[in-house]
This record gives sequence, C-alpha cells and structure tokens, in this order.
Amino acid sequence: MATTKAELGDSIRERVRCALKQQPQPTVTVLSSLLAVQDAIHYLPDEAIEETAGFCKASVNEVWSVASFYTNFRFTPPGAHVIEVCWGPSCHLAGAQGVLAAVQQELNLFREGETDDRRATLRYNTCLGACALAPVISIDHHLKGRITAGDAKDLAGGLLVD
Amino acid sequence: MPDNISFTIDGQEVTGKPGQTVLQAAMDSGLYIPYLCYFPKMKPYGACRACVVQTEMGERKSIVASCTTPIAPGLVVDSKTEQVTDLRRGIIELLMAEHPHGCLTCHRVELCGPQDICQRHVSVTDRCTICPKNERCELKDTVRSVELDLRTPLNYHRRNLPIHTDDPFYDRDYNLCIVCARCVRVCEEVRFDNAITLTNRSGVALVGTSRGESLLESGCEFCGACIDVCPTGALVERDYKWEKAARQVTTICTNCPVGCQMVAEVNRFNKVVRFIGDLAGESNNGQACWKGKFAYDYPNHKSRLKYPYVREGGILKRVTWEQALDRIAAGFGDRDGSKVAVIASPRGSNEDNYVAQKFARSVLKTDNVDTALNLTPRVASTLQKRFGSAGSTNPIWDLEGSKCVMVVSGNPTEEQNVLAVPLKKAARAGAHVIVIDPRETELTRYASDWIRPKPGTEHILLVGMARTIIDEALEHKEYVSSRCSGIDELKRSLWKFDLSAVSRVTGVEDTIIREVARNFAKKAPASILFGVDTVPVDLHGALTDAILNLSLITGNVGVKSGGVFPLYAGANTLGSLDAGCSPMAERGTDLTVEPGLNGATPPPMRDGVADLFAGMRSGEIEAAIVMADGMNPGAGPLGDAASALRSLDFLVVSAVFDDEVTAAADVVLPASTYTEQTGTLTNLERRVQLIRTAWTPRNEERSGWQTFASLARRMEAEGFDFQDSGGVFEELASVVPGYAGLSHDRLEAGGIQTPCPSSDSPGAAMLHAEEPDDDAGRLAIVPLPFIGAAAPSSDLVLAPGRVLSQPDKPVQVTRRGDMNYLHRVEVVKVHEEDAKAMSLMEGDAVEALDDHGSRLAVGVASLGSPQPGLISVTTLFAEVALGMHDADSPDPSPRIPGLPLQPVRLVKAADLAAYAVSSD
Repeated sequence: MATTKAELGDSIRERVRCALKQQPQPTVTVLSSLLAVQDAIHYLPDEAIEETAGFCKASVNEVWSVASFYTNFRFTPPGAHVIEVCWGPSCHLAGAQGVLAAVQQELNLFREGETDDRRATLRYNTCLGACALAPVISIDHHLKGRITAGDAKDLAGGLLVD
Repeated sequence: MPDNISFTIDGQEVTGKPGQTVLQAAMDSGLYIPYLCYFPKMKPYGACRACVVQTEMGERKSIVASCTTPIAPGLVVDSKTEQVTDLRRGIIELLMAEHPHGCLTCHRVELCGPQDICQRHVSVTDRCTICPKNERCELKDTVRSVELDLRTPLNYHRRNLPIHTDDPFYDRDYNLCIVCARCVRVCEEVRFDNAITLTNRSGVALVGTSRGESLLESGCEFCGACIDVCPTGALVERDYKWEKAARQVTTICTNCPVGCQMVAEVNRFNKVVRFIGDLAGESNNGQACWKGKFAYDYPNHKSRLKYPYVREGGILKRVTWEQALDRIAAGFGDRDGSKVAVIASPRGSNEDNYVAQKFARSVLKTDNVDTALNLTPRVASTLQKRFGSAGSTNPIWDLEGSKCVMVVSGNPTEEQNVLAVPLKKAARAGAHVIVIDPRETELTRYASDWIRPKPGTEHILLVGMARTIIDEALEHKEYVSSRCSGIDELKRSLWKFDLSAVSRVTGVEDTIIREVARNFAKKAPASILFGVDTVPVDLHGALTDAILNLSLITGNVGVKSGGVFPLYAGANTLGSLDAGCSPMAERGTDLTVEPGLNGATPPPMRDGVADLFAGMRSGEIEAAIVMADGMNPGAGPLGDAASALRSLDFLVVSAVFDDEVTAAADVVLPASTYTEQTGTLTNLERRVQLIRTAWTPRNEERSGWQTFASLARRMEAEGFDFQDSGGVFEELASVVPGYAGLSHDRLEAGGIQTPCPSSDSPGAAMLHAEEPDDDAGRLAIVPLPFIGAAAPSSDLVLAPGRVLSQPDKPVQVTRRGDMNYLHRVEVVKVHEEDAKAMSLMEGDAVEALDDHGSRLAVGVASLGSPQPGLISVTTLFAEVALGMHDADSPDPSPRIPGLPLQPVRLVKAADLAAYAVSSD
C-alpha cells in the first residue's frame, strides 16, 4: 500500500514531537523548540508550528511570530545540497558578484531558493567568516576559498549530478 | 496609599498617581500629547514614538517617549519645544510613507462632503474614499495635530497587500495598517487569545495570523476588540463599513447578563451602525463579545413588525392599537388566574418586567409571570434566601485579583463572554483555575485542575470537597466563627459524604477530590462561577447550596476578589427577579399584589418559566401574553416553545419580527427594541444600568411597559397611568427595597450596584463585606443531604465541547462563494467500557444520533472519555461564529445553540470518506 500524504504527515508530526521532547537544555522556549525542530528535520513544516504551540502552551500565532521573525528559519524542505555564496564586503571586493552570477546561471535560479529538482539550495550569506580567503562559498557547510567564477560554476554543476 | 505626584507639563502644574506614565497623567489632566500605539487600559508599548517629549530632571535633559516614562516629583516635561515637534514630525512622516494620505494632502479635503464622488485629484490608491474610516479615523486627527508640512508632497509607497474579506464579521485591509500593534496587544494582553500576531520583521513586519491562515483556524473569538482599538481603517466591521455616525448613544448590550456598556453609533437615517465597547463601562471596561459587537443591528431590519395585527379567519389582519387591545381584553375576559400566563422578554427592562408582573398580578390575578430565560429559578431563589440577593456577591472585575477561580458547569467564555475576560487575566497572572465540567470548554485550557464528574453528580463532588476541607481542618476558622452559623450542622451532615462513596458516585478518584479541595482552600481569595448547564433541574438548589457552603467555609464571601458568581442566561434575569417578574416572588411583599381570590387559598406557585410552558402543554394554561423579543422559540431549554404556544387557546405576542411564535398568535403587537426606549437593566453583578433611546419608534411599536399599561387601562385597572419609563422606575424604586436610592437621573452618570437604599448611597459593590452585628446577620451554612445522582440511565450522554482552536487536529478551510468555511472530522471520545460493549475500535467511524435519529456528531472514535456512558466531542468556536454570520434570522443571537448534554445512541458510520478531510 502506498504511503498516503496523511500518514506521511503523521510521521513528520512524530519526528517533530521527538525533536521537541529531546531538547537537552533546562530552559525550553518557543525559539529553542523551533531550533530543535529545524536541526532535526532541516525546516519547519506546518506541523512544527502546531506542535510547538502545543508543547510551549502558546498559540500557533505566537509561534509563527517568532518563526517568521528569524530569517534562518525555513518553511519548505531544503534541497539535497546547500550552496551558500558570501557577499560580504571582502568577498564583494574580491569578485563575489561574478561568483554569484555563475552559480545562479548554473542552477538556473534568479534569487535564493531551491532548484526545480530540489537537488540544490542557493542561499546568500553576509559573511562566512573567512575574509582572508575571499571570495568564499560554502557547500554543505564546507568552505571553499579563493574561488573563481569558473570553479563556482563547476562546483554548483556538480551538485546537480551525483 | 502613596501621595500623588506633582510635576509640570509645558509649564502647567499636573498631578498624577504613582505608577502612571507621563502620557497617562497628561490625558487625565486634559492635556494632549499626540500618540498612536498607546491605548487606555493596555500596557504602554513605546513603538510608534509619536508621543516623544523632552523631560528635564535636575541637570538631566532627555527626549523620551512619554507613554513609557513614569512620572516623578519635580519632573519638567516639555512637549512643544522645536526639537521635539521636529522630531515628532519626522517620525509621523516616516509612518505616513506607507499609509495612503490623500485624506490629508488633497486640496479638496475641506471642499468635498463625506459622501461626494472623488474629483480625482489624487491617485486611485491614495484617495480618501478608499478608506472605510474616512472622516472617523484616529490617525488623521493625530497627524493633523502635529502640523505636518503638507504642502510638499509626501511619499507614499503602496504595499499592494490583499484585502481579507473572507472571514466572518471583519474586513482587514493591511494596506492601511501602521503596525502600531494595538490589535495584537489587545488580543494578547486583554483577551488572551493571541489570534493575531506580528509577522516577519523590519520593513515588512505586518499584523497577521500564523502562515496567513483564516481567522477561523487561528483561535479568534470574534470579540472585535482589535477593531475597537485600531486607529486606522485597517480593521473594520464589515456591516455598515462605510457608514458615518451622526451621533453616539451610550447604551447597554441586551444579549447576556454581563450588561456591557456600549457606545451605539447611529447614522443620519436613524440606523444603529456600530457597537463599540465603552471604556467607561464599569462592567466591561471597554470589552465586548461577538454577540455584542455583531448582533446589535436587528432594530434596523426592514422586516420588523410595525403595526398591531389580529387573526381573523386564520389570517393576521392589520388593526389599530385600540382594536387590538379590545381583542385582547375580550380574549382574556374573565379567565381564571390559574389558566393564564405572562411571559416577559429576556431583554425586557426592569420597567417592562415590573409593569408586566403588576399587570399579571393585579389585572389577570395570577402569579404565572416570568421571563423566557429565567431557566434556573432554584439557583436564584437559593441565593436570594441565603445571601439576600440573587446576584453575584462581588463585582465582575474583582475576578482579576482572584488567586483561585472555580468554574462549575458553565461556559462563561461563550454565554457571559466578558465575565471570562478578568478570569483569564487572573489565570495568566498565576491564579489556580479549577473547572468542574464534563464538557471541554475554552476555559479548560486555562485550568490547572479539570475535573469531569458524571453529569448530575457535580454537587456531590463539591460536598466531597467540603468534607475534605473539614477533615483536614482547612476551613477558615476565624471567618466561620465570626460571620457564619450552622457549621456544626454541616459537619454532622458531612458524615454521610464518605470520600469513597463520593468517589464511587461521581466517578472521580478520591485523591483527586482531596487535591482539588486543598488547592481551593489554600489559595485565597477564591471565587466560584457556577452555572447549571449539565445539572438536572431538580438538583439546581442542591448544587447552589453546596457552592455557597464551600465559599463560606473557606472564608470567601464578602472578601475582595472572592465570592460567588451565578451564570444566568437572560440579559435581565436578575432585574426581572428584583422587579418581581417571577412566580417565585415572595407572597405578602409589596410586589405581589395579592391576587383577588376572595379569601381562598392561592394556588401553589409554579416553578419558573419551564413549568409555565409545561402547563401550556398539559392544557392547564389556556391563554398567555408573550413578549418574544430575545426569546429562543426553537428547541431550546424550554423544549419546543413554539409548539407549546400553539396549543394555547388564546395567545398574544408582542414581537419584533414575524417568526414561529407570531405564527401561533391570535394578536400580534409590534414591540420596540432597545434602541427605541429608555429603561434599566440589572446585570449579574447587581449593577443597574441605563439603556438610552437612540430614536423614537418609527411606526406603532411600543415597549413592554407601554403595552401592558395601555392594556391595563383598557381593562379598566387602576395604577397604570405612567408618564414615561422614568415614572415606572420611580414606582419600582419605591416598592423594591434595594432600588430605593436609584432613579433614571442618577443612573445617567453610570450604573450603580444594588442594594442602594438611599439617594446618597453609592451602592454596594460587594455583599456581606461587613462583619455581622448580631447572630441574625450571620450567613447560614446549611446541612446537606446526600441526594441526587439521578438513576443511572443506560443511555449514553453526549457532552459537546467547544474551544477556540485545536492546532494539533487537522482542519480544512474550504471556500464557498466569498467566504471561508471549516471542514473537519471530529474526534468522538468514548469510554473503554462502552467501546468494548459495542466492539468499537480506536479509529472507527461513528455517529451520535439523538432520539429522533438526527445526527449530533460524526467522527473518528477515540478511547479516553473519563466516565462510562459519557461521549464527548469538541468542536471549534468558529463554526458557531459562522452560524451567526450566515443566520437567516434577522436577530440570530438568542438562537445560538449552547452546549447542553444530550442522550444519544452511538452507531458505527458506514463510510467516513464522505466527511473526510482530503489531504491535499
């Protein structure tokens, strides 16, 4: 029997509940709960908002106000790989614009987001903290420094095929 | 009390109370500092900075927001220096960059009338006519007061946000929102619903709901508080959205016994177009509810009855009042007093009810007179007998200071909505909330202890709590010995209430009963709100006795933030009892003009309005006068009221609309509504408040007292020559002891709580506040017999619950036409034993059917009902709100279904797919 969407929803709900319960720190807040969920399943599905509301005895709206305030929370599943392009001042001076354009062209994206096949997610980053290696990109949280537009194009293209 | 603090604002000496902010003190002394995000009776927020002032304290000079700066002795505040006004203009200019302001800058502002067609001097998105609050907007006044330079064009960036018009009652246009967060804050800190919130941040921050969902899902109770505080046109009532008020009339809402003071806005065509909670209202503190906010406009309806009618040959024929009165006089003729009845309107004023009962007793010679919603006469009479008043012992807003609140068998968040506002406030401040109710209501969410006894055993549970308190010596001994009598008799009667027996009867574990009793006894002051929604009629008295005992032994009567609050149904139940409009008024008092029985013993009095209807069904009562305004003629607590009325030989109905009741009538009289009369209502905290005339009747409508007085005069009775309702009240005040100090003139300034024995008495906020002088003044604790526990029926009982939101249960919002609707599969909670008996598995589809086979609930079975025989379902409040929004009836609020327990059969449903929420 094929998994129905409802059953899948339940399994997400279970995973959310687990993540909420397994928070190690003594003080549990809406914010810590949302972070725990995002760490566990990499995004905040609708179920996360609802379950966090129940868990923290808050209304869904309060949880949403916290979740929507922070730009690092995401509400759709990320792609299989995440590529982040730094556009901080150092990288910008060292040619980040060209790098970004190359990545966007390769991934066929015009802004931050996921590719159609959900293989890659592009995110902008204001500083990856490695200005000495500018321009910098990060692929699945691994930094690559002194990158050229051509390198970036190859790396991004590599994400689309396994 | 610390002394008042004096300081100066703009060179003027101002005094304020300690703890006030500069802005509050300025407002209290009539000085104006521009402000936007501040709102009276809410916490200062300091978001908009429009209220900046310069303060000087010794050497220190600073520019601060006056709404968040506390006053201090010697503080020098300057709100008009050039620096401050420049700063303020800059702040407002930034604010206006995202708010259309054609209404300020257009050169035709002074030339156009409010209803004129735009001359197109301003771009479409910026025109004054696109704003529903054009001409009545607070933002515009504030901006004008800062004297912005409006000659150079200001920027306007339109955000192009969608306008939300698909939820009941409200229109939300966030293009007009200035994100002052007043609405979010009132929802959070006053109503405790958090149905709306601030979303996103910085430049795109906006008021909204979680994931932009409908208000139906977000937990909105549709109280309209957000609309009342909105300074712009972003939040408005959909009905009469574009209407401008020609004048404002302060009046009282007639939908429930809280008696909220409201400001009714009336337009130039004499239509009431808005109802706004009055901040000066002592019973509601500016709050209102969905009924008060959105069910006020029935007086405007075009289908109102305008003239008297008499039925001839089965058809109602229009006649003059004189002809109608002749027909009524003939119809009653010399019928025996025991065969007639007068049913007064639950919305009727004290004046109406007083004249109604006077008419019944002195003209019809009967005690058969009651209001249609006096459904709990035993509660009222027990309170009256033991505490001297059927009202609450404490004022409503005392509740916010309670440390423990117990709610028994009542649903105040729906039936007496604003009463629950201070209760929720207390709960948020840490008060211990105990809910004793088999149904899940909104308050159970706030409850620390939610006890679900078998229906009909609530009073035994309460006595069990009293037993624990006595056993563990937790009673307030000093209070009991100085103020009460009868404690020893109570103790003796408690021997029968062995906790294991109590536990067996109520189905609640004895450890839990002990725990709750300890919580209640140890947290003082504690108040009790009690209804009888789940209690059989014959146990109403026992329940009331148990509650009053519990409150007395714990020393909570006559104590601030303690006391008991009976949850009545009708808007003026208490007032009508005071006015004697009840068959249970004590014989021999001034009120009960002794029926002329020529010395014969009067027949036994009937037991409230339910008994009157029973008398109609059985044929003992043959003729009746019914005031149908605010009555629920459908299948309500009175049974099928309309069919009982149809069985009468002669029926006179005074009604606002043509409905089932008028269809059964022989004579129909047009009734005036609350907008067309002046009168008084007494709310459940004994506050007598004035309804004021908004317009004189347009046609031949007459109010209750006018109808009865003219009928009495036609029937040649004396003592009915009243000039106006003030005159009626004068007579009422001379007869009813607690009203002696009241008059319409005095009530003009605001409501006064009875008893108010003299014209210089301020009224009694709290009953029994003083220690008694002698033994006669002591409050009696009565012994309690172990009665009740009606024979266990084999039937299952459905306990319907209703809450604002259940985020963990899937709900689907579907659209029909322009509106959102809810679609959801319910969870039907069944006890394990019952499930086993009918071999029901968790997850099976089930239907609950009533005697007639109509479906009351359908859903997925789930084990977990607390009592065998009890089935519970919890639905969403939004469904009721939608029901009222879509109602066909021009006056839907009396017909809103409550949450009565109902005997049901449970059957397996063949196919749940028809009801299922599709997962897409």
